[in-house]
Amino acid sequence: MAGTLARPGAGIGLRTPHHGGVERTAPPVALLEVHSENYFGAGGGELALLERLRGRYPLSLHGVGLSLGSADALDERHLAALERLVRRFEPALVSEHLSWSSIDGRYANDLLPLPHTRAALDHVVARIEKVQERLGRQLAVENIASYLEFGESTMPEWEFVAAVARRSGCAILLDVNNVYVNSVNHGFDAHAYLAAMDPAAVAQYHLAGHEAGPFGLVDTHAAPVAPEVWALYAEAVARLGPRPTIVEWDANLPPLEVLLDEAGRADAILAGRHLPSRMPERAA
Amino acid sequence: MSELADLQRAFAAALHDGAFDAAARRVRALGVLPAERLALYRRNMRATQHDALAATYPVVRRLVGEAFFRVVALDYLRAWPSRSGNLDELGGELAGFVAAYAPAADLAYLADVARLEWACHESALAADAPALDTAALAQVPAERQGAIHLRLHPSVRRVESEYPVVEIWEANQPDRDGSLLGDVVAERALVWRAGPLVSVRRIDGAERDFLDALAHGAALDAAVAAMGTADATRVAAMVERLAADGVIAGFTPGAVAA
Repeated sequence: MAGTLARPGAGIGLRTPHHGGVERTAPPVALLEVHSENYFGAGGGELALLERLRGRYPLSLHGVGLSLGSADALDERHLAALERLVRRFEPALVSEHLSWSSIDGRYANDLLPLPHTRAALDHVVARIEKVQERLGRQLAVENIASYLEFGESTMPEWEFVAAVARRSGCAILLDVNNVYVNSVNHGFDAHAYLAAMDPAAVAQYHLAGHEAGPFGLVDTHAAPVAPEVWALYAEAVARLGPRPTIVEWDANLPPLEVLLDEAGRADAILAGRHLPSRMPERAA
Repeated sequence: MSELADLQRAFAAALHDGAFDAAARRVRALGVLPAERLALYRRNMRATQHDALAATYPVVRRLVGEAFFRVVALDYLRAWPSRSGNLDELGGELAGFVAAYAPAADLAYLADVARLEWACHESALAADAPALDTAALAQVPAERQGAIHLRLHPSVRRVESEYPVVEIWEANQPDRDGSLLGDVVAERALVWRAGPLVSVRRIDGAERDFLDALAHGAALDAAVAAMGTADATRVAAMVERLAADGVIAGFTPGAVAA
């Protein structure tokens, strides 16, 4: 925003159905997030669009397929494609997920949970270090939503996330919806999760919608951000500080205006202009 | 590390093979059967991978129907599990798979339609190339034109079929009702991308031979000779169209030795 000190603003996850709308209307969002893998092609229309948008918006390259936590070797081809993309577009942020997706070369193309053990921590820290070295820059790593916990876990998720950042020097991309979903699914206190985060490590927030599943909540990215998540986001901003924020909607996409309204709400919270009227009380 | 590999192998067996026991023993119940928790992940994986295949193969899906396509997709993923964290790479073996897929044996043309859709998918993601410099091409003296090497755009693909593969593909685009309008004859498809737009059109055997020769590095003279009977007027019109459409994306004057 011209004339004001730069402060973190909100943007949207740009998905194919909104490519035309964003290019035509150039909405005044602070940044755009795209999924890195959608731009791994050698050429074509998607890359050309990103080339046109990069001059207008800071970009956030958000990977979903690197399988950071896998016991397999890092996929050299995937890493090379990511490196090419990062060098070409010089994004404001490069991020991936604290999860795994493949073993023995078979991919689930999903964000699968890691056991929160010392061994898994050592492994994923070493992998993040390798990726950061390869890209020549800091990676931000996102906490995932999960629908199970492993018996062998020896520490709570927030301790695992905080230790990953502390030891690898990576940043945390704090997905507030995922914190909330997991707090419901696994019965922990979301406030304790936020309290365990080092404010200096948090580089970006994500917001998205969840839905009720067969048990617990499912992180579907197919609904508006829930009131409880807005409240938790306001608390995160107050406690950890304002950071660039992305509203993600990946299935059953609404019209662009609806998504922009959600980003506008996040912007208001970042600016301290708004607190949700009802802060839900948390049961002890 | 090997503990982690063990856990991930057990999890993968649940996801890909429906073998839940080993993974379920390592999952906390917390009021829900571990197998149910794993089944949620299995459903999510299958939905994601099915949707990626459906996006790449809309015509195959329309031809067999949504319900049957789900079955095809699951059977395909069992035979060819995803090997990449990039979903754009999922589905490259579908044509070969459906060619040998007994439940679809009645749809003999299905494999060729799948090959055409994969060609379109590859074409959309292929490298860019600068537009042909037509002015420079026009300046090549007549006596040296035959030695020119024309370069095909990196997005160019060709698909041969014993079936009217282009006719079927066109009839099953979103704005058509699926009925075939043209003759039911063997067709060859040319696929290419101009800007962001992937195009498909039918070509005859002569044009196929010409493009094959160019793709193999033949000079213009040799490529024309490969067509057999074509006359000069026809060749000129064909090259002009290929250049205007962006199928030909560059040239090297033949006098320059490689």
